[in-house]
Amino acid sequence: MKKQLLKIGFVLVAAIQIVACTKSEIMPIPVVTVSTKVVKDLIADTVLGLTSTGMPYSAGKYTFYSLENNAIVPSTDSASAKWDLAFMSTRILTNGGTSGPALGGAFIYSGLFDDLKTISTDSIFKTDNAPTYAITTGSGKGWYTYDQLTSLITPLAGRVLVIRTASGKFAKLEITSYYKGGVTLPVSASDVEKLTKQRYYNFRYTYQSNGSKVFLN
Amino acid sequence: MFKKLLILLFFIIPQCLFSQAQFVKDTLFASGDSVVVSATRSERKLSNSTVPVTLINAQTIQQTGSIRLTDILKEQTGLTMTSGFGAGVQLQGLNPDYTIILINGEPLVGRTAGVLDLNRIALGNIKKIEIVKGPSSSLYGSEAMAGVINIITDATSKIPLEASLRMGTYNTKDIILNNGLRSKSVFYQGFYNYYATDGYSIRPSSNNRITTPINRLTTSQQFKFNINDRTRILLNARLTDETIKSNIAVSNGGVTINSNGNEHNTDANLSATLNYHFTPNLKTSFRSYLTNYISKQDLLTISGAPYNDLLNHLFKRIENQTDWTLRKNLNGIFGMGAVWEGVKSSRYDSDKLRKENTIQYGFTQWEWTPINKLIIIGGIRFDKNASYASAWSPKLSMLYKLNPSHKIRLSIGQGFKAPDFRQLYLDFTNAAAGNYSVFGSAQAQKVIGQLSSLGQIGGLYNNYYLLKALQPESSTGMHLSWEWTPTNKTFISTQLFRNDITNLIEVQQVGTYISGAQIFSYLNIGRAFTQGAELEFKQNINNHLVLSGGYQYLITGDKDQIAQIKAGTVYTRNASNISTRLTMSDYIGLPNVSKHKAQLKINYSNDKGLFANFRIIYRSKWAVNNTNGNQVYDNGDDFAKSYYSLHSSMGKEFNNGIAVQIGADNINNYIDAIHLPNLAGRTYFINLKYQIKYKN
Repeated sequence: MKKQLLKIGFVLVAAIQIVACTKSEIMPIPVVTVSTKVVKDLIADTVLGLTSTGMPYSAGKYTFYSLENNAIVPSTDSASAKWDLAFMSTRILTNGGTSGPALGGAFIYSGLFDDLKTISTDSIFKTDNAPTYAITTGSGKGWYTYDQLTSLITPLAGRVLVIRTASGKFAKLEITSYYKGGVTLPVSASDVEKLTKQRYYNFRYTYQSNGSKVFLN
Repeated sequence: MFKKLLILLFFIIPQCLFSQAQFVKDTLFASGDSVVVSATRSERKLSNSTVPVTLINAQTIQQTGSIRLTDILKEQTGLTMTSGFGAGVQLQGLNPDYTIILINGEPLVGRTAGVLDLNRIALGNIKKIEIVKGPSSSLYGSEAMAGVINIITDATSKIPLEASLRMGTYNTKDIILNNGLRSKSVFYQGFYNYYATDGYSIRPSSNNRITTPINRLTTSQQFKFNINDRTRILLNARLTDETIKSNIAVSNGGVTINSNGNEHNTDANLSATLNYHFTPNLKTSFRSYLTNYISKQDLLTISGAPYNDLLNHLFKRIENQTDWTLRKNLNGIFGMGAVWEGVKSSRYDSDKLRKENTIQYGFTQWEWTPINKLIIIGGIRFDKNASYASAWSPKLSMLYKLNPSHKIRLSIGQGFKAPDFRQLYLDFTNAAAGNYSVFGSAQAQKVIGQLSSLGQIGGLYNNYYLLKALQPESSTGMHLSWEWTPTNKTFISTQLFRNDITNLIEVQQVGTYISGAQIFSYLNIGRAFTQGAELEFKQNINNHLVLSGGYQYLITGDKDQIAQIKAGTVYTRNASNISTRLTMSDYIGLPNVSKHKAQLKINYSNDKGLFANFRIIYRSKWAVNNTNGNQVYDNGDDFAKSYYSLHSSMGKEFNNGIAVQIGADNINNYIDAIHLPNLAGRTYFINLKYQIKYKN
């Protein structure tokens, strides 16, 4: 009997607490839900053909992208704060420093996308300072490796691009493939296939619009 | 034509099989206890060897239809053939760089990227092949880290004349002439071999040949003079000369540039040995050896630009070894020697300048038989190198004969592989693929310093500051084996082994050019291990049939990578390309290594000179490429599929000296053009031989 009473008392206390909690949560902070978006086959200066000496050539143009709007930005707006990232082959620009007029910057985080719940306060965002970039270029140094023997570009596993957007907000981004359709090309793929299917970015990202460094899932 | 002949013979043979009722060999050991030399550098009965030795005799080589060293090695337990820069041999999971290849105890040189092409070695005059598994640097110095393969020829052949002609698929021809002369005190053996093939293309709708047309000429001349009871002189000369048509495709950023031309390789070996017996208990031998390997590539790219590559490796050695039997149960050997070697290569700063190294070494080994059942051998060798750090190599081994049918062997030894000339002196910029450069560690800092003063260096990595004189790569190996012969018709042997390797020399990026192109050099950084188990058996089913087989289980790993995986800092990708943390259960270990390898053979023979055999070789999958965005080989990477191949051969020797043999290789026609370029599809051969034998 005594035990039962104790149990009831316990439940009562718990119930009061729950009510109290829900009350306080309704009130102050506006909750902005963040969602993870998936971008497929974003064209990044694809190869147009081969020159007479057999070298691949392309238009040499960046594709500008807004993480906030999840959309491509026309290149006529390249001098504006409308874009957050620009892609041309393996190079990715942020909208700041020598690359653009806005507040953009980035650093590369080693770890899992889902494990990155908060950008730590002591993180240092780098800005583009051509010829070096916030998202480091070169095999094994930034987001990818290039295999000289197989001519394949492979995004490094466990690398998250932490982005400060043009408007100074934050996003995290994981590149999943550099090839059309998000596939991993086999080593045995033909040279033509390796050339024509590359420079298609597949990635997922989470954009936090409230300006905080916290990504809630 | 071949097919019809083969079918015909399949019909004939069973009838022969059953018409034979006579006894041939009653036991596996009918020919007596074999003698091996490679394990201890002195003649010892195989049954008294303290380290595991595989012995392949001439009959086995001949009956399997093997004509190049690769053919027979691929059928041995624990050995796997590799492709790329010729056919190399992986021994208990260690790359071809780590096995020394000897002919009559003298090392072959001329490795490309660490691989010595074993197709260079013809088998037509071989008496036997000895394979010692486990570090053997205590006797042989550098390269004998995984083991030793010693090819032994014999001047005292009983055959004055032998000629054979072999024809096979892809217009492959192999012609052998052996002639011998002997008197009471002088022996001569001459060997001539011509091999040619059109090569083959196993990529459909491609004229790109996997194996390109080859012409290869080999000769070997051996003399043995027994001057008196105490003195003997041996002279050996061997020459291999080959021309390989090359059609090389270099891929750069997805663009392929084709080049055509020839590769010409010459391998010459000369040796002279003087053996002298002071007393039956004290003997000494002086050996001198000179070998030169010259490889030239003359290619023209499609646009007409020449591409030439030269490698010239000269190696000279003198050596003395003294064997002293102190007491009946205690004997020792003492040896010392000096090596001078030099390499010229167009991949070094100048192909006019010869890069040189000298080595002085000394070794001793003691064999003690405290009781009849126990043999203990201890040895140590010191190598003093001019161009890199010196090395001590000890080894201790023992054999315990529990009773006549059980033997236990245990050996612990250290092996090393000296940095090769490429790792010290390479000065190579690949204009065909992104202009990256690789500089040997001996001059990387100097060369990069010069480039820097010309303003060509974009950045230096931390690795640049770590560059220093390379240490030899070294390993500690342990082998434990148990041999069981329950009856004289059954033989079973199991072996456990473990190798721990430190100071692995690896290519690392040390900086970049202004253009962003990478600059590499060599550093001692890696740590790895290989371990596994081997099982071998042989069973006489009846007087004619012998079943034999072998299996190897092998696990390997990079110790630094394992530490990282355990720390949770290595990632991989799942099926939808999302990064995940790599766990040890998905870790594969070293690339190009199969977990399982097995072979099974059945041999038939009778006393009428008829033989037939059927062999199956199996190899489980192996990792070939890192494709999932980490630098570690794991289950998400690119694998070559597991496969098996079937081989068969049969033949008959007639009393009049004529012998006929036919055979088929890769009967199941397994093809993997990318990962097994050395494995042609199904091939057939027919071999005709004529022999004159001395009557005695």
